[in-house]
Amino acid sequence: MSDPGLNESASQHHPVLELRNVTVPGRQHPRLEGIHLRLEAGERVALLGASGAGKSTLLAVANGLLQPAQGEVHWSGERRARSARARRRQQARIGTLWQDLRLIEELSVQQNLNCGRLASWGWPRALLNLLLPLESEACAQALRQVDLDPVLLSQSVGELSGGQRQRVAIGRLLRQQPQLLLADEPLASLDPRLAQELLQLLLTQAVAPRALLLSLHRPDLLQGFDRVIGLRQGRICWDLPVAQLQASDLEALYAGVAEPSIAR
Amino acid sequence: MKPAAPLLLLLPALVLLPLLVLLPTLVHGGGWDLIGQFLLAAVQPSTDPVVLESLVRGLGITAGMALLGWCASLLIGIAAGLASSRLLWRTLIGHSWPAEWIRRLLAIPRSIHELIWGLLLLQVTGLQPVIAVIAIAIPYGALVARVVSDLLESLNERNLQALMAAGCAPPAALLSAMGPPLLPGLISYGGYRLECALRSATLLGVFGLGGLGNELLLTLQSLQFHELWSGLWLLLAVMLSLEAVIGALRRRWGMPGRFSLRAVGVGRQGRELLLAALLLVPLVFGVGRALAIEPAALLHWQALPPLAPAGWQEALALPWPGLVFNTVLLTLLAAALAVGVAPLLLLLVAPWPWGQRLLQLIWAIGRLWPPPLTALLLLFVLKPGVITAALALGFHNLGILGRLLLEGSEAAGPQRQEALRCGGCGPRLALLYGRFSGLARSYLAYGAYRADVILRETVVVGLVAGTGLGSQLNQSLSAFAFDQLLLLLAAYAALTLLGEDLSDRARQRLLQP
Repeated sequence: MSDPGLNESASQHHPVLELRNVTVPGRQHPRLEGIHLRLEAGERVALLGASGAGKSTLLAVANGLLQPAQGEVHWSGERRARSARARRRQQARIGTLWQDLRLIEELSVQQNLNCGRLASWGWPRALLNLLLPLESEACAQALRQVDLDPVLLSQSVGELSGGQRQRVAIGRLLRQQPQLLLADEPLASLDPRLAQELLQLLLTQAVAPRALLLSLHRPDLLQGFDRVIGLRQGRICWDLPVAQLQASDLEALYAGVAEPSIAR
Repeated sequence: MKPAAPLLLLLPALVLLPLLVLLPTLVHGGGWDLIGQFLLAAVQPSTDPVVLESLVRGLGITAGMALLGWCASLLIGIAAGLASSRLLWRTLIGHSWPAEWIRRLLAIPRSIHELIWGLLLLQVTGLQPVIAVIAIAIPYGALVARVVSDLLESLNERNLQALMAAGCAPPAALLSAMGPPLLPGLISYGGYRLECALRSATLLGVFGLGGLGNELLLTLQSLQFHELWSGLWLLLAVMLSLEAVIGALRRRWGMPGRFSLRAVGVGRQGRELLLAALLLVPLVFGVGRALAIEPAALLHWQALPPLAPAGWQEALALPWPGLVFNTVLLTLLAAALAVGVAPLLLLLVAPWPWGQRLLQLIWAIGRLWPPPLTALLLLFVLKPGVITAALALGFHNLGILGRLLLEGSEAAGPQRQEALRCGGCGPRLALLYGRFSGLARSYLAYGAYRADVILRETVVVGLVAGTGLGSQLNQSLSAFAFDQLLLLLAAYAALTLLGEDLSDRARQRLLQP
């Protein structure tokens, strides 16, 4: 499969994502204050924190949906592009798995998977895809990668089970081939077995030059991550390798007594 | 090969291809300078106090006629709607056949446009202020009746059955079980009809029944474009204020939106509703007095000229196939234009936030600007005919459908569009895939309903652009050929009822999950 979203030369010299002293005032979103974060290619980082700690805000800044009031965001060393065309190219390298999935119910599985390619398609292909879904083989391959039967390609997304829909959403990301994978509580409301399966699926996709930043509310699912970041009231409390995380850190995070910015 | 939902939305816009090919053949060359003057005058409306006073007076008459016609139509509609409800008759007498007959009877006044009612009444009673009110009240009343009976049929009957099983008298059971769930849908639809009534009252004015429409026509005919725009901006201000107030009340009282005609719950703020209804009573009487409305004037008929000896033969010899074909063609072209161009324009301006505001303004003008006046303007540069009439009618309905599409698009929420944008998708494709996918079927279903309204409205432009049954109707009316008129009205009614049936079927198919 071609991989236009990945830019290996860029990723060799720069972190895939870098947030420098990012601040978001808490008017419409939970606030963020002075966030510094680096995500290197191949890194898999989990984001922990109580509800309202700012996890979704941080992910919204990371995927460009939200512009910080202060600070800088760099994607593979580049700041937010000014021209619309360059901005779109930049966005095409960022893939987000939304908590509510944001699949298009009225379209077929194949058409939804192809939504991951819309950034690189012109109007004729995008319109043709609505008449005759395109790139069947690549879509079938994406479904196989997420353990779904390609026979589902022609089915409407509205007819799928919850687990199948989660996998289709991941399949759409695979079609996009992003350099930065962001996931906002993708395992919330899933049963333990399905949550574990989908997490493994995401972790296996996050190999260099790709990086993964995933927000979680269950500390028992941290296996497989390289680092874990604790976020409380819009500030990073700690940023640790998973192996160094201790029960007291978690207790402090959720009990609200963590000291800001502990790094081991 | 089955087109997906967003593509279905764009298919009606294919009508632009033949239109763009044919349009150059329709241009007659003269009048471009007049169109230029007309457009320039938009930014230089007349501020002459005498002109403004006259326009405000005209606007007051139009608004008053609209209010009275609307109130009368609600009273007629609710009563006739209950009388044509199968559920009501089944509950009261155990059979529903009276409802079926009343429904069929109501189809006749519904199928005839308010303009025809107005012109007929004008011939019979002479010019009276009450004519415009009754002309609006008759077809609108029949339309409200249909909506009331449809809403009643769609409600769940379990509560009614429970009350009846507990020994409650049928009238009391009906009122208690069906009244509250009926109210939100009825009030939401009623509000929408008030907006329509203002447009209709303006249109009736264009055809000589008084008010601002008449002023607009006179200023257009005398090429006083600055004065014309003063009237137009005034009307726009009133129309937008009315739409905003109705929208705010709809949200405040928890009424269903326009895309979903089904009620979702009982309306809140009952006291406010009651107060609003009570305030309407003195307002209606005050307006009636100010406009010198005398319903008794309807009873004084003028002596009509006798029929021509060979009138029926002449009526039968009219070119019926051509008249019907032109009317149907006009409907299809105007409907496709209105339904197809709205999403296309929204896609076109998607990258620019100001583009959407500009469209909202153009659509607002399209909604309130009476189609016959658009047709007259188009005649400055185009030859009369089906396409010219379709452009005029299409522009008016584009204003209505565009606003609905935008409202639906805003209500659908930005999440899916946002998700696509975050993945690098362009603003137009994100709108097409992310928002239009969910809207396509309900929008097209509304478009099918609108096509049925457009069929009724063809008479309005037919009278000006010289095509179809409407044009013939005008000629027969002017010649006092009542035999021809009767046949033409029957043809119109039959065509409208057939169109209504077809649009119902299309709507049901589109809304099927």
